[in-house]
Amino acid sequence: MRNQQATKLIFELSRPGRRAAVLDPPDLPVPEASDCLPAEHLADGPPPLPELAEGDVVRHFVNLSTQNMSVDTHFYPLGSCTMKYNPKRNERLASLPGFAAVHPLQDEATTQGWLRVLYELQQMLGEISGLPGVSLQPAAGAHGELTALMVAAAHFRQRGEARDIVLTADSAHGTNPASAAMVGYETRTVVSGPDGLVDVDDLRAKLDDRVAVFMLTNPNTLGLFDSRIREITSMVHDRGGLIYLDGANMNAILGIVRPGDFGADLMHYNPHKTFSGPHGGGGPGAGPICVREDLARFLPRPIVRRDGDRYFWDEEGEDSIGRVRSFFGNQGILLRAFAYLRTYGGDGLRQVSEDAVLGANYLLSRVRHILDVPHGERCMHEFVATAARLKKERGLSAMDLAKRILDFGFHAPTVYFPLVVEEAVMIEPTETESKETLDAFAEALFRVTEEAVDLVKDAPHTTRISRPDDVAASRRPVIRWTP
Amino acid sequence: MTGYLFHTPEDRREMLAAIGAASIGEILDAQIPADVRFQRQLDLPKGLDEIGLERLMRDLAAENVSAASHLCFLGGGAYDHFIPAVVDEIASRGEYYTSYTPYQAEASQGNLQVMFEYETLITQLTGLGVSNASLYDGGSAMVEAVLMALAADSSRRRVVTTRTVHPHYRQTLDTYLCNLDAEAIVVEPAADGSAGPIIDQIDSQTACVVIQHPNFFGRLEDVRAICDAAHRVGALAIQVFDPISLGLLKRPGDLGADIAIAEGQCLGSPLQMGGPYLGILACREELVRRLPGRLAGQTTDRRGNRCWVLTLQTREQHIRRAKATSNICSNQSLLALRATIYLSLLGPQGLRETAEHCVRKTRYLRDRIDQHDRLSCVHAGPVFKEFVVRDSRGDVEGLLGQALGQGVLAGVPLAPWYPEMEDCFLVAVTEKRSREDIDRWLESVGGDAADAAPTQGRSVAAV
Repeated sequence: MRNQQATKLIFELSRPGRRAAVLDPPDLPVPEASDCLPAEHLADGPPPLPELAEGDVVRHFVNLSTQNMSVDTHFYPLGSCTMKYNPKRNERLASLPGFAAVHPLQDEATTQGWLRVLYELQQMLGEISGLPGVSLQPAAGAHGELTALMVAAAHFRQRGEARDIVLTADSAHGTNPASAAMVGYETRTVVSGPDGLVDVDDLRAKLDDRVAVFMLTNPNTLGLFDSRIREITSMVHDRGGLIYLDGANMNAILGIVRPGDFGADLMHYNPHKTFSGPHGGGGPGAGPICVREDLARFLPRPIVRRDGDRYFWDEEGEDSIGRVRSFFGNQGILLRAFAYLRTYGGDGLRQVSEDAVLGANYLLSRVRHILDVPHGERCMHEFVATAARLKKERGLSAMDLAKRILDFGFHAPTVYFPLVVEEAVMIEPTETESKETLDAFAEALFRVTEEAVDLVKDAPHTTRISRPDDVAASRRPVIRWTP
Repeated sequence: MTGYLFHTPEDRREMLAAIGAASIGEILDAQIPADVRFQRQLDLPKGLDEIGLERLMRDLAAENVSAASHLCFLGGGAYDHFIPAVVDEIASRGEYYTSYTPYQAEASQGNLQVMFEYETLITQLTGLGVSNASLYDGGSAMVEAVLMALAADSSRRRVVTTRTVHPHYRQTLDTYLCNLDAEAIVVEPAADGSAGPIIDQIDSQTACVVIQHPNFFGRLEDVRAICDAAHRVGALAIQVFDPISLGLLKRPGDLGADIAIAEGQCLGSPLQMGGPYLGILACREELVRRLPGRLAGQTTDRRGNRCWVLTLQTREQHIRRAKATSNICSNQSLLALRATIYLSLLGPQGLRETAEHCVRKTRYLRDRIDQHDRLSCVHAGPVFKEFVVRDSRGDVEGLLGQALGQGVLAGVPLAPWYPEMEDCFLVAVTEKRSREDIDRWLESVGGDAADAAPTQGRSVAAV
């Protein structure tokens, strides 16, 4: 039985004078606080925050949590997001006071354990990518893209080359062109061919001496590994450009292919995806980047280095682009990535990717009989189906499928991305799901496509709310509570 | 095999049979050219079982000094404030931390409502009309605020700021501006802390002015005068604020700030070596279409129920791509959740009490230092929870090392950012420090706390 009060806002639960946290006044021989500060700086009273009892707060947020689907509670095949299991051991370890209660500005002699974690993580990320220059500073994948593009810009500036264009694939994440714009680059889009891969002729046509970087995702967002990757990277290198790899899909290739080996010069990882994060309801993630040896001097500072048994922050580097955030990075997430990598080791990581590919291909083999899958008999860690035929024949869209699948106790796949597939349904099962779960999901998907149209169009039926009015939300934005 | 995999050998056989492949190698070979395949095994340390991992990580954790093993008086943008148990308890629920961005609103009403509550709390805290659902951290949030100002009027390319703004934030700004056609003017502050030197630099080319109040040295700035000066020439005013200080101090919106940003780590998130933290950004309602990042809004569903969705998404990269207000994709939901719970627990009175503790405990330590033979407070004026101490012997490293030996993290040296302050360090006192803790600070740096202490009883001397 659902708690009917659970959807009230904390502001509506507030009662004047109700308290949770109470601090006894300190016993100190000093004036009252209001006498320690000049009157012109003092507010008339504290901000109008809600007033609640501790029990209110707990019940409210626990009940709200039950209105989320999550990896811990549901299969969550959200393509491109790698919603794999988040190990509980990593959560406990990250909360150890020796990690969680360390201040970022402590003397490095007092943080040797932390620095060793970060140093060894740099080494491991360099090995996995085949790109030895590593910065742990970026706070998220998009931030990593931005940072790497700044590195590329510094590289060209130093060479005196005025390159002002970044190429992105039409199947790329929206962050690619948005990151390029923030570094002052103009974006040109390279189209995909009928096979879903980079159209090499289009790339050739758009490639000139103004192109600084080609940002590509490989395996791409269709879950396909580009078989002409060598040719593509060579073409760009021959014109003096750099290759950036969007590492969102690294879960497919750990220990199987290294970006540095197929011609990537810079890349980011999404540790919240590939290395079990977790995703935190939309963040925090982290976005460490790896670059070719000769580009490493442009990386943000500081970088962790080792001198014998001692680890230290290296702040030096006159070619460095500078810092891209306060302090050093999303260490809490990086620590979990470290624990994840130490759990699997090299051969274990390869097994992770092989199982991710196995799971995706198995699900593909079943879904192919339910929905069209335009690209590929085979896929890497994910695949993109289309509801275009279903829409034409029965009027059911990708969004309708996504909404109805929630009723079967599964989170929806990513829909309407990538943009190159009409009515896209992007499915990424990850390696941490059983064959039984994949079977049950395929079975549910099949049933949805056979169900009465009205039933599907009105779905979901089992969630507290159904089909919120996005248009009204945008047209008359209510983005804060008012009494 | 350690780890979190599922498939038994039998599963693998059945799955391969259904796929129609003899092996996983065959599936990979069909897609990946042989000449790019990785030919050896990754050179990583061998995998560990849970007991082995736990041993390794506990050993590493034991090599670190922390605010749990030592008394922490470090600040500079990250603070050892108290985190109520409720915050950890709720935020460790898998329904929160193992979910993702609410792309399907029906499956994410918990997260969406928390985002809406967070946004509302931040507007209440700042006195501004709009807050996004959070950004990465204080430094990048400040940059995003500046980018909003630069986008608001493309003819204005100057950003006026001062050396009393967090050095990391200013360094981050420099990094971003380097590739854009804009420059930051960094003003040397007046010795008496007055706003004159900043106001003098604001002109018709100024896109925005960025000040921090309380500033990096804990001092109070004349925010209203600076905002007024900015507005006179049509520039935007951006204030970097300390959320805890708003238990006592006037709110950014009430002082005239157009955009307010903060590091929200102080609102219930652990220090964790500098991240992940919480970037807070609030602005006046007129600026909402330029706001970077996620935004949750209220609407109704098909049955008429009130509910929450991601809204105004046409600002964002997944719709607008190169024309988005920012490249940001994620937010810091889990930390925004922590801040939401924290502020719900504190309420107006709890926030006020926390701020009062900071001010009075800081005052207590400053009074002691005023009587110290070796140390002195550099700035005489009022401060919030942080201040600069000068060592007359100029041996900051020795002094802090000595304190460390006695279990006290006594301060942050300022020399790395302010070469002229090589004999100075920054000290922060939060509500967590007891009077005894503060006395131990004095003992640890070689002060004579006992001699210096006045007779018991509360002094009510005015400032």
